Amino acid sequence: MRKLHFLLSLAIVFTVGSALTGCQKADQSGPGTPAAPPPSIKIGLAAVESGSDAQIGATMLEGSQIAVDEWNAKGGVLGRKIETISLDDEGKPDKAVNVAQTLVDDGVIAVLGHLNSGCTIPASRVYNDAKIIQITPGSTNPLYTEQNYSYAFRICGRDDQQGAVAGAYMYDQLKLTKIAILHNKTAYGEGLATEVKKTFEARGGTVTMFQGIGQDENDFSANISVIKGSGAEGFFWGGMYGQGGPLCVKMRQSGLTIPFVSGDGCFDQSFVNTVGGNAPDIYLSFGPDYHKIPAAQPFLDKYKAKYGHDEGGYSVYGYDAANVLLTAIDQAQSTDADKVAAVMKSRSFDTILGKIEFDSKGDLKTTAFVLWSVKDGKLQSLPANP
Amino acid sequence: MSSGSTLMEIVMDGISRGAVYALVALGYTMVYGVLGMINFAHGEVFMIGMFACVYAIGVFSVAWGDHALLNLGLGILVAMIFSAAYGYANERIAYRRLRKAHALAPLTSAIGISTFLQYFIFLTVSKEKVPFPRFYSDFLTSHSLTIGPLEITYLRLAILGTTLLIMAGLFHLINRTRLGIALRATAQDQLMASLVGIPVDKIIAFTFILGSALAAIAGVMVAMYTNVLVFDAGYRVGLKAFTAAILGGIGNVPGAVLGAMILGLTEALTTLQFGSEWNDVTTFAVLMLVLLLRPRGLLGERVADKV
Repeated sequence: MRKLHFLLSLAIVFTVGSALTGCQKADQSGPGTPAAPPPSIKIGLAAVESGSDAQIGATMLEGSQIAVDEWNAKGGVLGRKIETISLDDEGKPDKAVNVAQTLVDDGVIAVLGHLNSGCTIPASRVYNDAKIIQITPGSTNPLYTEQNYSYAFRICGRDDQQGAVAGAYMYDQLKLTKIAILHNKTAYGEGLATEVKKTFEARGGTVTMFQGIGQDENDFSANISVIKGSGAEGFFWGGMYGQGGPLCVKMRQSGLTIPFVSGDGCFDQSFVNTVGGNAPDIYLSFGPDYHKIPAAQPFLDKYKAKYGHDEGGYSVYGYDAANVLLTAIDQAQSTDADKVAAVMKSRSFDTILGKIEFDSKGDLKTTAFVLWSVKDGKLQSLPANP
Repeated sequence: MSSGSTLMEIVMDGISRGAVYALVALGYTMVYGVLGMINFAHGEVFMIGMFACVYAIGVFSVAWGDHALLNLGLGILVAMIFSAAYGYANERIAYRRLRKAHALAPLTSAIGISTFLQYFIFLTVSKEKVPFPRFYSDFLTSHSLTIGPLEITYLRLAILGTTLLIMAGLFHLINRTRLGIALRATAQDQLMASLVGIPVDKIIAFTFILGSALAAIAGVMVAMYTNVLVFDAGYRVGLKAFTAAILGGIGNVPGAVLGAMILGLTEALTTLQFGSEWNDVTTFAVLMLVLLLRPRGLLGERVADKV
């Protein structure tokens, strides 16, 4: 009888568990690893693929994967097939270092990743020590390229540029004089928030509140009351969309209708889905509008055909990062990190976002952040001077 | 900066936050009261309640359309049954055999179950945040009661009301019913209780089932309150609720609610005064201070009354 009860309980756990499993959406469309005959060139893809920011990381990896598939279809690079090893850093710094070590042990010659600055920066040390090229398609914290690593590149802008654009937009275009700022206490969130604060105050504005909140916190009510009480006319969120979306919804529900401004961390369709298709007064800083660049259209079509949904903003950067890396390897006629890095720093590359060049630190020589808003269920870029 | 109405809003935020912690803390305190063990998996049972409710609502709305109240009510019921089943299974599988073992064994087992369930849900249900269907919470969040300058949403009133109702119900159950006598007897001495004919196994199983069903209610309310479901939701709320239970005197039902309210208010006032990045610093400072002065927690004195 006791045995029976015991077995029954076990049965309950597993039937109940599989019932939940049954409801699961079939969305396991992560980047696959195409089988390739040796000797293949191994490239690591690393980003957050689980947790609240999973979607934004996944789109980035999917973009890189499309580029790699295109190169493989043309016969690979240096006559060798390209194999990708894709790992999930869960958006956690400690996990990112483990992932980096695993990729190094697996013998990758370059890494495209990570997404979160908090992951990219600690991981970059591992790659640098192992003499592996790293290109991040999405980490904007300046510190990454300020470490003087020879093999660290970034194919997006920096937060001192992004923060300046967002801060200036709030003061000049939105005509705000008092803003409240909340960040998620990460390298990315706090870094960006600080840059916005700097710019906004330099122009004569006042920051009425500057606070941080844990990444796993979902109850923003006290913060919202403080924002309300501080008399802020606008709000900046330094963090990712996983918290930013619900935060924006809660603010609106509490009757706080001031402009909601944030950075590239909220730039994902999931953010739009959370806040609603026509949510007013939302402004996000991100790179130039790739929808208006003809060269980007074949990629966008290909992405939609392969993954069944519209591209995320970072898929474009993932794609460009992979193409730049493979082009540089091809031009260097070598997978040696020193030779590839030398090529990357000395030549210009055609990407779908235009011609790019890297400076000696590994940053882009020119970047253009623009403001986007939510309209008709999509993120849409705003004209430069409304 | 902190004008009168802001302060009142903050206090209300703190009370709501405290009520959320209290709903979960009651489950911790009940199991501790009866078994003297900390059921770390309680937070996960709470999280499973969240997911069960939302998936059940999904199924119902496909089956017979969007009837907000009916679907939500049935969803909560399904969540309670799911969570109760998990709670019972936890007790049966992970704790019962360890009841007479060294105190560390069931504790370790509880941490194991907690991690197991978290990643089980992570891998099988959702690796991402799932939004709570707003259609089912809108009628609670968009209507509010106005008292002076304060606007209190129906959802907050519901959370607060549920917390007080459950607290009163548990208090009554433990102190005024025959079942309560059996619970208290089991808490005091399992061997003696069994000798006078109390089915100790059943009483303990009942404690887990009741606590888990209550956790499901808490889960649904928190999901409506925060709008998100995530596999590790139980961890954070669970940690805070556990702290609240200790603060109030673990094992004591009104103590759990008192501790949770103090915790919620501390966090809200910290946000107002120092910024939310200081929340963990101040709450745990309060905990340490209370434990230094009252090692058994605020109301944790009457050992015989615990349950």
